[in-house]
Amino acid sequence: MMTFCFAGIRNFSKLWKSNPYLGLSPGHSYLSLFFKDCYGVGNQQKWFSLKAVSAQNTKAGNLLIAKARYFRKGDEGSNKQVSSDSHLFAAGAAKKRSQMNPHKEDHALPPVRNTIQLPTKPLNSQEWDKLKEDFKGKTNFESWIILQMAHSHSSIDVAKSLLSWVAAKNNGIVGYDLLVRYLYLCIFHKQTSEVIDVYEIMKARYKRLEPEGYTLLIQGLIHSDRWKEALLLLEDIKKVMVPSRRNYNDCIEGALLHQDVNLAWSLYQELLDYDLIPTLKTLKTFFDFGKNIKDDQYSNKLLDILLYLRDNHLYPEESFAHSIKTWFESVPGEQWKGQFTTVKKSGHCLGCGKTIESNHLSPEEYEFLKGKIMRDVIDGGDQYKKTTPQELERFQNFVKCCPPFDIVIDGLNVAKTFPKARESQVLLNVVSQLAKQNLQLLVLGRKHMLTQHSKWRKDEMKKVQQQASCFFADNISEDDPFLLYATLHSGNHCRFITKDLMRDHKACLRDAKTQRLFFKWQQGHQLAITRRFEGSKLTFQHIPSYDTVVQTTGDSWHIPYDEDMVERYSYEVPTKWLCLHRKT
Amino acid sequence: MSGSIILRSCARFSVPFTIPTKRRVLCSAVLQRYMSSKIPAMSYPNKENTSTPEQLGLDGWKITMKSSVQEEDVSTVSSNKDEDPLAAIRELVEMWRLLGKEVPEHISEEELKTAMECVSKSSKKKYLKYLYIKEKKKKAKQIKKEMKAATREKAVKEQLLETAKEDKQQNFLFLRLWDRNMDIAMGWKGAQAMQFGQPLVFDMDYDNYMKPKELQNTVSQLLESEGWNRRDVDPFHLYFCNLKTDGAYHKELVKRYGEKWDKLLLTATEKSHVDLFPKDSIIYLTADSPKVMTTFKHDKIYIVGSFVDKTMQTGTSLAKAKRLKLATECLPLDKYLQWDTGTKNLTLDQMIRILLCLKNTGSWEEALKFVPRRKHTGYMEISQHSQEFVNRLKNSKTFNSFPKGSLHTQKRWRK
Repeated sequence: MMTFCFAGIRNFSKLWKSNPYLGLSPGHSYLSLFFKDCYGVGNQQKWFSLKAVSAQNTKAGNLLIAKARYFRKGDEGSNKQVSSDSHLFAAGAAKKRSQMNPHKEDHALPPVRNTIQLPTKPLNSQEWDKLKEDFKGKTNFESWIILQMAHSHSSIDVAKSLLSWVAAKNNGIVGYDLLVRYLYLCIFHKQTSEVIDVYEIMKARYKRLEPEGYTLLIQGLIHSDRWKEALLLLEDIKKVMVPSRRNYNDCIEGALLHQDVNLAWSLYQELLDYDLIPTLKTLKTFFDFGKNIKDDQYSNKLLDILLYLRDNHLYPEESFAHSIKTWFESVPGEQWKGQFTTVKKSGHCLGCGKTIESNHLSPEEYEFLKGKIMRDVIDGGDQYKKTTPQELERFQNFVKCCPPFDIVIDGLNVAKTFPKARESQVLLNVVSQLAKQNLQLLVLGRKHMLTQHSKWRKDEMKKVQQQASCFFADNISEDDPFLLYATLHSGNHCRFITKDLMRDHKACLRDAKTQRLFFKWQQGHQLAITRRFEGSKLTFQHIPSYDTVVQTTGDSWHIPYDEDMVERYSYEVPTKWLCLHRKT
Repeated sequence: MSGSIILRSCARFSVPFTIPTKRRVLCSAVLQRYMSSKIPAMSYPNKENTSTPEQLGLDGWKITMKSSVQEEDVSTVSSNKDEDPLAAIRELVEMWRLLGKEVPEHISEEELKTAMECVSKSSKKKYLKYLYIKEKKKKAKQIKKEMKAATREKAVKEQLLETAKEDKQQNFLFLRLWDRNMDIAMGWKGAQAMQFGQPLVFDMDYDNYMKPKELQNTVSQLLESEGWNRRDVDPFHLYFCNLKTDGAYHKELVKRYGEKWDKLLLTATEKSHVDLFPKDSIIYLTADSPKVMTTFKHDKIYIVGSFVDKTMQTGTSLAKAKRLKLATECLPLDKYLQWDTGTKNLTLDQMIRILLCLKNTGSWEEALKFVPRRKHTGYMEISQHSQEFVNRLKNSKTFNSFPKGSLHTQKRWRK
């Protein structure tokens, strides 16, 4: 038991410093064993450090034990690996990874609530007065209660009785905030006539409103006959600020609801001109409406929307994908057939067998990206920030005179993959396994790797240097930018090995377009080690060879979409596709 | 000037709250007429709760709201014409205030212009919230001031009564001139530091990395640092290096210090620190440095970058030091403190207090008291524990009789 404790903790000195008797405490060793069989080898460290923080606090310790039990019960199934068919950037992969290393979650206590029962039916004045007496809070009672009512979607009759009580108290005047919340309730319950009443009142009483009021009014008005007035409200917003994309969504929806197609498209154009990204709901509305329209111009505009999705790497949601499918199938005379499928590793659509676009960059794109990486990521306006001019020159000379590489390895990242093993040994293992396949290797690292240390043995590093070319940056320089540049410099066939998702470097690129280009390149060239235990054979996460983006060949469309049940992180791509093709 | 403008444009909106008496009578009259005609139950609240929801007159308030409107129209027409964007923003702010958002009550023309120039909605809100908080603080201060004045007046009155009662001559050794004496003493000390003090450099070469707001914060921190230095037993000789005359820094400093700027006992220069001091005695302090400071050296020149960085430009000062090939060091925060939250970049005044304390006592525990308490959970008890441990080992006679295995583990612990 004890030996395990000693071996498992790398930063033991630190632990000991914060609590000298930690290693001897029986409770602690119990815990450590407990976690060991719970999570396997990879995660002990996390639990140890957690334990170290709360070591003196028995209460927290008990909580931890309880939590560990909970995890054991709940996560038995998810304790396995990320399934091998999903790649590093597949939708949901990050979520799975995070489930593999459960973190302590902070359970924020729910805020203390004021304990007033919200009325369920209209009250009269005395009842309101009485309720107000019961209320103990800092804010004013009327604003508070209407906010609560808006939250819990009370019926508008109750809200009305509140307003009339306020009005009676206050010489017939109701405050603006109460009106806005009331308006919200009316819209929620779809009471269009009430909305118009409130609109009349607001119009008469206030010269201008603020965005929240405008947004609600627009939302309410578009369902009525007076929907055109919503456009005037939109104009009013424009006087003080750029309307939100939701405002546009509502107006477009109103226009389509009342068959004014041209207006809807011009609003859409205006939205794009403001550099706003339309909500997917807006786009879906256009498709939904398109089912009943047989008009070439309209169809072309819908196809333009699909190309907009392509250019901006947007992915429709599941319901939107259904709308697209229905629209295509409703186009007369073209006989489109749609199905929901996935794409094989080889890049063939399972539905129609066609090849999905490859994720190789065109030569121009490639040169462009290379230049940008050099300028924005490595140089970035101040060469001293990430490296020094001398080092940069040394690196560039090195890259120039070496033959193009097949694989570039992030030495430090690879070496730290298995916390239990010696770092130089892990690196040597990886390098020699790859060298056996006759690949030209480049190992990037820092100079400190060359000095003798318990983790970095000189003889092993020498062997690494024999099997691969190496470049060691200064200890305070960053090695990732060099990795990116060396890979890009070697050409399209070259891959790089690291688990790092490179998000910080992506963020250094100035515009969204270059970032997308970088991401596309990264998806096709990054290898990540999946092997869980040191010693078994080296396996990499599968690299997709195709580009996950909306695409067409004229008589077919392939549209990746987000499933409703899968949580996709911003740097991941969907795995499900809508395949559309014409019957011939 | 701005007050009158506010009044004019606010007049419309304050209507709901301050109705002229004439109209108030009318409103309530309308309401009462409506109520009494439709639902007798409401106007005679003493009667029992016989009213069903339908009888409650749920729509009554609408009528008064609309009816009170017609009369107002007269006043709206006049202001309806102006399409001045400033007025639009002013109205927006007013409506936000009605909605209970955090916006200032009074806003000047200049502030409105700034608000208008904010690009996005969120930046507008942020700026207005800043103004709101500023206004609130100002108000609270005002109230405090008034209260203090009132109590002082009261105290003075009472004292007058007392002194009138017992008008007795007392013997004093000193006239009461403490503050001035303190100032003079600090001046002497400062002059001494100018001659013989250890230099401490503030590098002012960061003005183009900062936004105006950050620059203002930096200058505030500089002022405070200078104050701490002046009050110390053994002050540093402060240098403001790379301070461009009539640059943004210089302007702000002169604005804050006023006349005192030319009488400050410190060296402000346009020259760089590398021109003033030998390169090998300079140590640039930066949190990004790989090298940890172990002791305070009295023969070195420490440089602190006067830079408030709210936008995460990591490594800026390290890059500067690298460019000039200077030695860098960072405070041993991790070694002595159990760090919890927050960045390890400390404010300038905290830095100077730590340095002053180190200079005087040389004790890290003492010096790191100036690290904000919220950032760490406590001190590492290493030095004490290891000290005790070593002492115990030394003293104990059983030192040599430790089993071999346990000694071995000890060694690994110490690493």
